[in-house]
This record gives sequence, C-alpha cells and structure tokens, in this order.
Amino acid sequence: MAKININISVNGRWYQLAVEPYETLLDVLRNRLGLTGTKMGCGSGECGACTVNINGRAILSCLTLAVQADGKEIQTIEGLQKRPDELHPLQEAFVKHAAVQCGYCTPGMIMASKAILDHDPNPSEDAVRKGLSGNLCRCTGYDRQVKAVLEAARIIRKAQHE
Amino acid sequence: MTAFFRPSEYHLPNNLSEAAQLLSNFGKKAKLIAGGTDLLVTKPPEVECLVDVANLNLNYIRKDDDGIKIGAATTVDVIESSEILSSGPYVVLSEAAGVMATPAVRNMATIGGNICNASPAADLSLALMVLDSTAKVAGQGESRILPISDIFEDVNKTTLKEDELLVEIHIPLITRTTGASFIKLRHHQTSVDIAIVNVAARLTCSKDHCEDVRIALGAVAKKPVYAKKAEKFLIGKRLDAELIQKSAETAAGESKPINDVRASAGYRKKMVPILVKRALEDCVRRCGTWQK
Repeated sequence: MAKININISVNGRWYQLAVEPYETLLDVLRNRLGLTGTKMGCGSGECGACTVNINGRAILSCLTLAVQADGKEIQTIEGLQKRPDELHPLQEAFVKHAAVQCGYCTPGMIMASKAILDHDPNPSEDAVRKGLSGNLCRCTGYDRQVKAVLEAARIIRKAQHE
Repeated sequence: MTAFFRPSEYHLPNNLSEAAQLLSNFGKKAKLIAGGTDLLVTKPPEVECLVDVANLNLNYIRKDDDGIKIGAATTVDVIESSEILSSGPYVVLSEAAGVMATPAVRNMATIGGNICNASPAADLSLALMVLDSTAKVAGQGESRILPISDIFEDVNKTTLKEDELLVEIHIPLITRTTGASFIKLRHHQTSVDIAIVNVAARLTCSKDHCEDVRIALGAVAKKPVYAKKAEKFLIGKRLDAELIQKSAETAAGESKPINDVRASAGYRKKMVPILVKRALEDCVRRCGTWQK
C-alpha cells in the first residue's frame, strides 16, 4: 500500500502530508514539520515528554499514529505564544519559578499544564499534581512546576477578567 | 517479515462487517488499533495491516432500563468522569479508570483495548467482572454475547476468533442494596506502574447478610480471576469482621502469583488478603449495613 494522505492542523496551520502507516505523530512533528520542541523520551507512554494537545486534550504523540491524527487540530509548544516576543503565561511562570532545569521535560510538562488549565481555569494544587502525574522530571522535584501552573492559572484568570 | 513494526496497510472501516472482513482477510497479520497505548508500546513486528476502530461509532456510554452500555472505543477518561458511572456500585468502574496509567494515556486508551490486551493486571476488567458485565463480540457471522471473564484465555491472549472484535460492554442494572470497591497496590515510581495486585469486589446485602458477592483478583494469575471459594464462603452469612477476614484469607489461597519485576510471588500472596479485606469492608460501608 502506498503512503496515506492526511490533513492535520498544527498550531493553527493546516498541512497535507503523505505518511507511512507506522509513522507516529511525533515523527511527523519533528522530522517532517521541523517542530523539534516536542521531545522523544521513553517511547512507551511512561515519561510524557512527547505530550501535545489534540482538540484541547493532552495526548502522547509517540503513541499516536500520524494517520490517527487525520483531520485533527494539534497544538505543540511552538504554538503557545501569540506573538514571537511574548511568552504564554505558563511559559513566563515556568521561567519565573525556575521550573526548567535541563529542559527536556518542559515542552511536554507545559502542554500537559495547558490541558489542565483549559479543562479547569482554577485548579486545586492536588488537581495540578494529578494532571502532571504522567510527566516525569528528573531535575526539579515537581514543586516548582506545580507552583508555576498555579500562578499561571491566576494570571490567566486575571487577564480574562480585565 | 521484518524485525520491526512496519505495517504496510492502514484501514479505517466504516462498519463492523467491513472490519470483520479485513480481520478475516489478514488473519494473524492484522491488528486492531484504538488508542494505540498498548500496540505502539509492544510494536509487534508480525503486524502488516492495522484496522482502526475510530469510525465504527463505538464511543458511547448509555443507560436504559436494561442496564448500562459502553461502546468498546470509549476512552478511559470518559469512563472516569461519566455521570452515569458516578454513583452506586458502578463507581467501581470509574474509580478503576481514575487510577489507571496517566492522564494522557487515559485520554487515548479505550475500555475495549484494556480488555482485549488481556493483561492479568487490567484495572477495568476487574471492575467489569464484579459488576457481572457481558461483552458483545462481532465477527463475520452472528454477533455473540459472553461474560467478560470468558474473554481472557492467557497472558495477553483472548478467546476472540481472528475475525472478531469487541463491540460493546453491558453492565446489568443493580437495584438491590449493593456496594462495590476497587483497590490497586502499585509502586509510585511512575504513575503508569501497573498493579502489583489489584482487587475489585461487589457485595449485595439484605440487612446484614451477604446475598451475593463477587471478588476479582488481578496480577496474581495468568488472567484476571474470580476468587470463587472466597465468594462462596460469604454467601448467605451474616457479615462481620471475622467472616470477612476468613474470606480474604481464602482468596489468598486461590491466587497463583508469579515473581516479576514489580514484586515477588510471596509478597503478592501476602497482599491479596489485605486488599480483599479492605475492598470487602469498603463494600459493606457502601452498602450502609456495617455491623460492628
């Protein structure tokens, strides 16, 4: 069988691609679209480094076939900023709280955080911890990320009220 | 055949007969794909054809006079947060869904995949077993209905024929005083850790007597199993702490765990009675008839 044609929206832009049945969404994002912000970690659903959002929900791009993403809207870490010179509140808060050390888990961690806030703009600390339970970080000890997400939530809520 | 997972075909059938036809045509070289969270981890090299269930309209949870029906392609996060499964003994299923793997995996993995992967430690399977659920299986011929536990044959092996696929789960309505509980013991190194031992129980009481009970054990045999002797021990008797303790010990005697990377057989065997006891106590509490 020849390659399969798919249409996917990545960060608001539609792409038409011909993919192999076994190509993962992660392969396509990194190798074909050059969006290397999304990381390959364990490749088996344990670490969360490859987390991206499809239709607002966090999913693992290493365990999603590109063909399964056909017709869907995908958001990656590259699509968070509204303007090149302005970070998303989650990114700002991660920087402020030093929730980034080696940085490898950060894109997945931020996309998982984005899904938490899209689902609940005012999450409890417990909800944030549970929401990030699939994202491993070997540097920080998680406390900084949790603080960053809670602060970003406050900032986003405040901005929406203004 | 290569040594790598390199399927050359991908199909997205629009109805069940098309899907069954594809499975039949490709036989062992075909594999169903739903969430992909098991298939893309194991990546079996013999697979040449992927059959995606996404267009079969199997993503639903419905309740009617007959019971609760869950489409096989319903994702675990939907089960976790389902209003229908948020009260009564049905919570055993949403609770099991809530502690399965990680949020992102739950957003992808399906109930049908969790059952058909036939892991001895499958969380949802145990919950469905104690609710006396049945599974509707479709193939090229007539579809058939079988008890959930009859799907499991061995480790990662089901009794489904090559052309068959799981379509729907049916949970019968429970009208009498019933409590159910799910308990999972695992390492917390990562939250995808599968169970060292997991237990589901369901208890139907009249006053303080046990009318009917189901106890299912995971990760202690080649497939999820009922602790039948422990169940029999409880039926018709007045529930008290001693009875529950003895039943839990009976369940341990029925388990046949192995040593593996997560725990030793001996440790598992010691944990079974503790988890069964806690699950049964939970059931009794939820029945609201706990007698000290």
